Formats: sequence, structure tokens, C-alpha cells
Amino acid sequence: MTEPEITAAPEERTTPVAETAPRLHVLFKVADADYVVSAVDVLQMESFTGATRVPGTPSFVRGLVQIRGRVVPVVDLRERFGLEPVPPTLDSRIIVLAQGDRVVGLLVDSAREVVQIAPGDLKAPPDVLMGESESFVKSVARVGNRLLMLLDVQRIIGEEQIHGK
Amino acid sequence: MSAGVDLKDFLAGFLAEAEDHLTQVNGNLLAVEDSLSRKEASPRAVRDLFRSMHTIKGLSGMVGIEPIVDISHAMETLLRNADNAGGRLSADALDLLMKGAAAIEERVRSLGRGNPAKPASKPLLDSFGALEVEVGGVGTRVEASLELDATLVAKLTPAELEHIKTGVAAHKRALRVDFTPSPTRTDDLNITSVRERVSKVAEIVRVLPISVAETASAPGGLSFVLLVVTDGDDATLAAAAGAAPEAVVPLTRADTPPPEVFAEEEPDEADAASGARGNFVRVDVARLDDSLEALSALVVNRFKLVRSMGELSSRGADVRELAVIVAESGRQIRELRSAIMRMRMVSVRSLLERVPLLVRGLGRATKKSVQLAMNTGDAALDKSVAERVFPAIVHLIRNAVDHGIESPSVRRAMGKSEEGTIRITAHQRSNSQLELVIEDDGRGMNRKEVAQRARAPVPKNDIQLLDLITRSGVSTAEKVTTTSGRGLGMDIVKRVVVAELGGELVLETTENKGTVFRLRIPLSITIVDAFTFLCGGERFVTPVAAIEEIVDVDAARVVKVPRSRRGRETKLIERRGQAVPLFSLDDMFGLTSSTTLDVARKALVVRRRADLLAFEVERMLGQQEVVVRPLADPLVRVAGVSGATDLGDGKPTLVVDLATLGDSLLAAREAST
Repeated sequence: MTEPEITAAPEERTTPVAETAPRLHVLFKVADADYVVSAVDVLQMESFTGATRVPGTPSFVRGLVQIRGRVVPVVDLRERFGLEPVPPTLDSRIIVLAQGDRVVGLLVDSAREVVQIAPGDLKAPPDVLMGESESFVKSVARVGNRLLMLLDVQRIIGEEQIHGK
Repeated sequence: MSAGVDLKDFLAGFLAEAEDHLTQVNGNLLAVEDSLSRKEASPRAVRDLFRSMHTIKGLSGMVGIEPIVDISHAMETLLRNADNAGGRLSADALDLLMKGAAAIEERVRSLGRGNPAKPASKPLLDSFGALEVEVGGVGTRVEASLELDATLVAKLTPAELEHIKTGVAAHKRALRVDFTPSPTRTDDLNITSVRERVSKVAEIVRVLPISVAETASAPGGLSFVLLVVTDGDDATLAAAAGAAPEAVVPLTRADTPPPEVFAEEEPDEADAASGARGNFVRVDVARLDDSLEALSALVVNRFKLVRSMGELSSRGADVRELAVIVAESGRQIRELRSAIMRMRMVSVRSLLERVPLLVRGLGRATKKSVQLAMNTGDAALDKSVAERVFPAIVHLIRNAVDHGIESPSVRRAMGKSEEGTIRITAHQRSNSQLELVIEDDGRGMNRKEVAQRARAPVPKNDIQLLDLITRSGVSTAEKVTTTSGRGLGMDIVKRVVVAELGGELVLETTENKGTVFRLRIPLSITIVDAFTFLCGGERFVTPVAAIEEIVDVDAARVVKVPRSRRGRETKLIERRGQAVPLFSLDDMFGLTSSTTLDVARKALVVRRRADLLAFEVERMLGQQEVVVRPLADPLVRVAGVSGATDLGDGKPTLVVDLATLGDSLLAAREAST
């Protein structure tokens, strides 16, 4: 019953990697903006076919999905970022992430690429971004002509954020 | 890489065995303390302790855990000296041994979490070195009071003599019975079987082989002297030893000179190894979880089978034979399930094994005298429930010692006995529930004081008092002490018992008389019998056990109570002459009702304390067994939803906890009146 992805992730994380070596990131889109999360935390990606709403949860908690026998809560990033909701499409994806002993899904518009980002290329986000996105963005990187925003997943799913509202 | 895996496997085995031995060590340390309080020696416990420490030392040496080797070596040395001193340990030595055992436990736990064991602390090892064990004087005193033959006495260790003496002091009789092995014996007994039989009716102090004259009945020229302490009669002992009743000789009287002692016998190690182990297999709980997980898949698969059989049948196919097979598989799954569930059961007694140590430590830390009375019967509960409820039990015991039991001087002034009592009882109630009662005879709770500290209105009764103290952030303590007022709070106790386990927490307290907490918890929580129903167009399930009754809601007979100044309109339905408030689950869950009011609807009735509450649903769908997966993530942890289940469609279906919903409704109502 153990999912190979889930057991594999923590081991990868402990693999020593030189500080400057580029690291793999999963790139996804929410309302035409490009975001990334570290690939090490990503357990799997699933297409979105609906979730079971849980009454009494914040609006950004889209509900529960069942992925390989595991029940995973899904955070709707559009709703979390305060953007206008759109109906899910065939491109909609759930990115399933491991955070400590929690497993949480992020609902995004699409996710099709992985990119290598060297730690040195990640810069502190500009102040203007900080205010707008409730500092959900940890850092930004310019890759080619695109600006990629590295999400602060802890902040997005953190407990204090849920009960603070 | 493979070597690393091997070591891991090895370590898991070591940890399991070390924990076993530590449990025995803790039990024996408490036995020693008990004897010490009666100023008696405890030769048997000391010897068992010595053996346990010896084994732990050997095991940890094998897996190379040096810190544990160091500590257990120091403990072993101290115990060997104590054994030589007739099983006497001073209070200081006992304290030190307890510290040592705790230090080993801490390291075992640390290893269990995958961390290395910290090196043994030098001050601890030094205090072992510094401790002198009083030796001497014991043996001679025993000889004087026991008229035992000198040649035999010479063969006994001081610990064994002390064992005899303690037995006699406890009004038992010290006896000797001889056994002579022979191939011509009709009863087919040998010394091993005799030892086993005698140990069932008496405490064997020592078995000494002696040489006797070669005769027909003693062809080997060999006989055994069994020295025992017992409160049984001669005939029982003689029968066990395969001897005539006259062959049993008391040791407290002058004896005929026995023949010369033959040889030294050292059977102890083998004895301990064969006698202590039952017919058990240790299984990692994770493996049981795996099999349960596989079973869950089987249950879900059966739902699918039933569903597609229904579809076949609706298309006109003959499914009678199939239906029989499906029904049979349902029965088989139930049997398999109960077999696995039985494997997962742990006895309440073993769950509470560490409680005596806890109470002792708390008593010392608070300088209070506390006696623990436990009566757990043979109740057992599921491992997962046991693990969840244990921290709550610990918290309640802590509170009882810290805030309940008064200091000895206060108790004396009040005319109570100086020693406070904490009583823990467990018994299984008929409806697959366990009732655990934690009771103290301390000062009880003062409602006014609690209200003052919480800055809340004074509770009118124990129910309101419990609501108040289980509110998050409210402490019953006047001041934070070293043992309480931190960590788990009463709010967590309630959450564990009520929300997580679906149980009930009841408080009864009387000032100056004491406090009683009753925890009613289900024996297991993984698979439950549940009703499925529709609500706002969505499917939900709720455990059958929580439902008192399902009633029809006749729209024409629903009484609408005029709304108060604020708050919503209340509806009432009649049930056997009693008015029951009716709540709409659609509304509570923020769902839009998809049917009109004139369609006959149903309501699920739950009982909370004395109140009945009815929850109106759209339509009942059926009843089935469901596998409940708890919702642990804080994103989806809400009151009234206890978990999710899969009804066979691969989508999570919410498990609604109407009891908790009812509690929050009652709390809201009480707050508004």
C-alpha cells in the first residue's frame, strides 16, 4: 500500500547536493502567472475531476480527493490568491506535495514543465509583490525571459493561516 | 547498503526485546519499593532485576549501543551486590536504579525514532560507583531462626536465605521435599517436570542435588532437595513433587542430618528463559495496519461488486447465484475483519503498565503521599484507540496528583488519611464501549474559583464546569507547577475522547471529597457500521452507534417556535410525547436543499446527555460497513466531520459526527440563555 513516490521523496531530500548545483522544480500556471515548487516535495500530479467539499472549511479548501487510497485535502490556489474562480478544465492539475508529515494537494490551472534552477538564481521577491500576494512567494527566479515565483507552501497551507481568518 | 538494512532489522528486534525487559524491570522496581516500604527485602525481584539488566547489557552489546551497555552494567553491578546482601536495597539505591532504567528507556525511545543514543551521563554512572551496598549480618540471623542443616545452609546464598526468612515472616511455611529420579518410577517424573509442578504450588527457593546411597529406588545414587516457601498444604506439595506427604519436612524444626551435598547446580538461566515466555509472536503494528489496509480494499471492492450486481439485476439478468456468493464473501470479510481486529487488541492492563511509575514520580515531585488502586479486569481495546487515549489518561492522573490530592499536612488537618488515593477502573460496557474511571479523593473543584480564573460566569453544575475547564486556554491550576499546567490541556483531553474517538467525557466533583472523570470510548474505530444518506444532493455517512432512532418528518406536524430576539428559528417534532428540536443538516452544512418541504423527509435522532436532537436529512440511502479514515490535516479538521470513507466510487464521502454537532449546538444554546 505504500506509494513509491511518497517513500522516495524523503530519501531524495537527504541526498547531499552541492549548494550551487541546479535543482529540479515543477512549473505550473495560475491565472497566467508562472510558479514553481521544489520537485523534491512533489509526490505526484493528478488531473482534477472534482473534490468532496468539507463544510465549515475556508473557501480556499476545495475539498478532499482520494489518491491511491489516501485522502488528500486540496487547496484551490486561485481562491487562495484571491483571484476570480474559473471552472476546472482538462488542463487543471492537482500537485500533491509532502510537507513534513502532511500531504496536501494544490489545484492549479495547468502544470506541464519541470525546470532546473540554481539556488543562486533565486532572489528575494520585489516589495511590490510582497504586499499583493500576502507573501505567498518565497523568492523569484528569472529563467530565460520568464519570471518564476517560488511558492512558500508552508504559508499557503500553514495552520495559523487557516485559523487566523 | 545491504549491511545497513541488516543492522536496521537487528535494531528493531533489539528495541522490541529491550522494551519487554524494561517493562519487567519497571514492574520489579515497584515491587522492591513496595517491600522496602514494609521494611522487607525482596530477593526474588532483585534477582529478576539482575537477570533483566544482564540480558539488556548483552543485547545492547550485540548491536553496539555502548551508552546502554554502560548504564546497564552499572545497574547490574549494583544489583549483584544487593543480591549477595540478601536482596536488600536502600532507598537511595532504588532511586538510582529507577533513574538508570529511565535513562535506558529514553535511549531506547530515541533509537526507535531513528536518532542515536546519547552517551551515558557521567554523574549518573558516578553515583552508581559511589553507592555502597550494605552487606553482611543477614545470613547468620537466618541460620539462627531456621534450624536448617549447616551443610545445606552453606550451599545457600544470602539472598536465598533471606527469601526463606521473608517467607516465614509473611506467615508462609518454609518446607523441604526430596525427589529421587529413577527410570523405574511409575509417574514418569523427572527433576524438570517436578520443578515445574512444584513452582505452581510453591515458591522454589533452591533445588540442591545431593548424593544418596545407591538403592533400587535411587539407582543413580542421586536425589534432589527442593527448598520451598508456600502457603499451601503438605499434601499438595507432596503430590506435585511425586512424594508421600510424610516426605515433606518443615525447615523451621530440627532436621535429621542430611546426606552429604553432592554438587552445585546452576539451573537458573535456563529456567528463566523457558518459563517466562509464552506462545507469542511479536508483530509490528505497521504490519497489522497493512493487513487492515488490504482488508479495506477488499471491503471497497465488495461494494463495487454489489453495485454492479444491482446493475445487472436491473437489466433483467438472473443474479440469484451471484447474490449467494456475494453474501458469502461478505460473511468471510466480516470474519477476517474480526480476526484482524482481535490481533490489534491490547489489554487495558498493559496499557496502564507504566501508570504506577508515573504516580510514584508525581508523588515524589509534589511531596505528596499517593496510593494507586487499579482494577482493569480483562478489558481490551484497539491499539490505535489505546495510543490515542493514553496521553489523556496521563493528563488526568497528573491533574489528580497535582491539583486533586492535598499535601499530607492539609489532609491530616481535614481528618483525611495522609495518603491520598487515585483509583483507576476499567470495564467493558455492553455496546462495544469501554468505561475508564479515574477517581481521586482530593479536594475536588470549586466552581467559583474556576470561574474566577477563567473570567467566566459560575457554572451551575458539573456539566457546565466540564465545558468551562475544557475550553482551550483555561487552566484549573492556581499556578503552573513543575508537573502540570503545561503540555496537554483539558481541552485536548476532551478533543481526544469526544471528537477523535467519538466517546464521552463526564465529570463528577465534590468539594473536599474528590473528583471523578469517566471516559467512555469505543473499543475500536477503524471500520464502523454506518447509515448513508443524502443531504443537499451530496452523500454522507454517519455511524449507526451514535443514532438513537430514525424518524419520519411530517412537515404538517413540525412545530415552529417563534424566533427569539436573535438566533434562528427553532423547529420541534414530537417523538413519543416528547418535543425534540429539529435541525436541518442542509442549513448547517451550508448546502442548498434540493427537495421541497412537502416530500416526506427523515431525521436522525441522537442523544446527548439527557437531550434528544433530531437532524433532518434529504433521504436515507441505506446501511453498510465503512472504513473510516480520520481527517488529520488541519485544513479539513472541523467539528462534526470525523473522517472520510470510500463507498466504492473512488471519491471520499464525509463521515458526519452528529454527536459532536449536537454538542456544539447544545453549547451554543447554553451560551445564549
